[in-house]
Amino acid sequence: MPKVYNWQIGREMEFPYEGVRPKRQFAMVMDTNKCIACQTCTVACKTTWTPGRGQEYMFWNNVETKPYGGYPLGWDVRILEKLGVRDMTGPVYEGKTIFEAAPDGEIALGYIPEDEDWAFPNVGEDECTGSMEQGALYTMPHMQWMFYLPRICNHCTYASCLGSCPRQSIYKRPEDGIVLLDQHRCRGYRECVKGCPFKKTHFNPITRVSEKCIGCYPAIENGRQTQCTITCIGKIRLQGFISKPDEAREDNPLDYLIFVSKVAKPLYPQFGLEGNVYYIPPIHVPPRYLTQMFGYGVEEAMETYRRATEDKKLLGALLLFGSTPEIIERYEVQNDTAIGYNKDGGELVRVPIREPIHVRAAYDEQYETHRTNIT
Amino acid sequence: MNKSFHRRAWAGFAVLLVLMPGCPSERPDPAVEREREGIEAVRIEGTGAILDPGAGFWNEAPAFSVQLQPQVVVDPRLPEAAVGELEARAVHNGEWIGMRLRWADETRDDVLRTADFGDQVAVQFPIDPHGPLPSAMMGHEGAPVNVVQWRAPFQRDLDEGAPDIFDLYPYALVDIYPDEVLGVIDARAYTGALGVDNPISRPYESPVLDQIAEGWGSLTVKPIQLADGRGVWNDGEWTVVITRPLFPITPNDPDLRPGTATNAAFAVWEGGSGETGARKSWALWVPLRVAE
Repeated sequence: MPKVYNWQIGREMEFPYEGVRPKRQFAMVMDTNKCIACQTCTVACKTTWTPGRGQEYMFWNNVETKPYGGYPLGWDVRILEKLGVRDMTGPVYEGKTIFEAAPDGEIALGYIPEDEDWAFPNVGEDECTGSMEQGALYTMPHMQWMFYLPRICNHCTYASCLGSCPRQSIYKRPEDGIVLLDQHRCRGYRECVKGCPFKKTHFNPITRVSEKCIGCYPAIENGRQTQCTITCIGKIRLQGFISKPDEAREDNPLDYLIFVSKVAKPLYPQFGLEGNVYYIPPIHVPPRYLTQMFGYGVEEAMETYRRATEDKKLLGALLLFGSTPEIIERYEVQNDTAIGYNKDGGELVRVPIREPIHVRAAYDEQYETHRTNIT
Repeated sequence: MNKSFHRRAWAGFAVLLVLMPGCPSERPDPAVEREREGIEAVRIEGTGAILDPGAGFWNEAPAFSVQLQPQVVVDPRLPEAAVGELEARAVHNGEWIGMRLRWADETRDDVLRTADFGDQVAVQFPIDPHGPLPSAMMGHEGAPVNVVQWRAPFQRDLDEGAPDIFDLYPYALVDIYPDEVLGVIDARAYTGALGVDNPISRPYESPVLDQIAEGWGSLTVKPIQLADGRGVWNDGEWTVVITRPLFPITPNDPDLRPGTATNAAFAVWEGGSGETGARKSWALWVPLRVAE
């Protein structure tokens, strides 16, 4: 197999094809600290792209509760179990990726989930790691934890679905790095379903071929962020383009979050796919669990996030989440205001670093009543 | 019988002699001899497509045992073949050739769900019977092959109708589909591969796909479908007929006219064992002679 460089694991690795990075790369950052699992993203995606026949159990976007939730059931536990326990504590991952751990005769380490595994997309919802003693919630830190993990296709730089397809039915667009599955060329072998460790390719039993998240490419082509991003009521997502690792720009909010402040981390980098959806780790969750999930540097990311108020560039980038439906290509912080620009330099949005506070008297003289404290 | 068939037959015979040290004059083993001679498509009465797997005329054609092996040349591979042998018989009526393939399969796999695969069988012919023999592994560049593939789910569609979601998942919950509120044109965007007429989504009128290949991963369904067939599963056994015209009609049709000596290769997929795509059992080229 050819060798490609995967910056997320700090080394070269094997991949079925030569490494050619696209001109631009679709990317997303999700702040898990803000997600409330309202599933608005899931419904927005579902109604936009997958309400058709054969897509009844198909969610290109889903939100699952960690540690027990998973769609399909146990997708992460099963592939981690196959890959074995790996050391994720160094900048260079010395363990095997799913391509390097592929059994003889296979392109990648993988498995096909059972039909039932797709039937309970919200299993484990709101379940925390264990039961709480009576009154334990009054003491901090809490002994038990859970958090919400929103997921879409990672539009990986080294996509395993693409590498696993013997017909080259899956391709990565050179203009934006979105990974698409050709609906006319696919023959429904399900090698991609087996090969994608994130289980984000889905078999449609009515059309008899596989389908996957299309990164809302008609929106992207028109400078708009994805449906799951612009409908997010918690404003947890920022979608745009990530630069090549050696060409990171401080004025690109995604680059700042991923490469400069390093507050956003990839999902399961040890798989070796160089996914392009990044997560700000939940700061209340034990680092040991998060290191397995987001790789090297999680504790530093959590600390950076806790101290975000000290870095106006970071705070500015975080405040641009959910501030505009347009793709922010460049940003700056001026006079305590984060300003986002489109690719032509046009101003898209201004967000104050600190929201103005209006203090009103508790008693309303005009209506002779006490005011309710609302935001 | 043309010259190239003679050449190959004699070459094979010469090899056989070399492999029999000390007894050059001994008569060859009849089984080995049959394998060397391959399959003979005998002439029968009639016209049009040959579709009946239970017809009496199949008894007029000699049975040929095709030995199958797991595909282990290219990834993804099949470590162990579920089907090791199939019986092939061939007939023609001067217009169409029919091949009847029969193999043991405990499970009738003709429903496709995420983790359920369908049974299939395919026959492969060189497009040009007189040119250099294409790679038995789906041909090679410049040497295309015709792959006629019967699919059990297609057969079920034609026999019982295409399934809807409740046939596949009886407990599915559905509020409304786009095609129930939008016009056909607007709802097309939600129909995926069906909306772009992917030929493997549904059978046109036949359970057999008429295809061309020029090597791994190049299998393409032809724009005009001429092949046909019919398969029946009974008591742990598939009996499938695949039929196509003897004479080329459209570009890249194989030339199988009476008197032609050519070759055929085979592949079987046992859906119940998860066999699909490259995960198949197959046989290399077997000589095929189409009787005058």
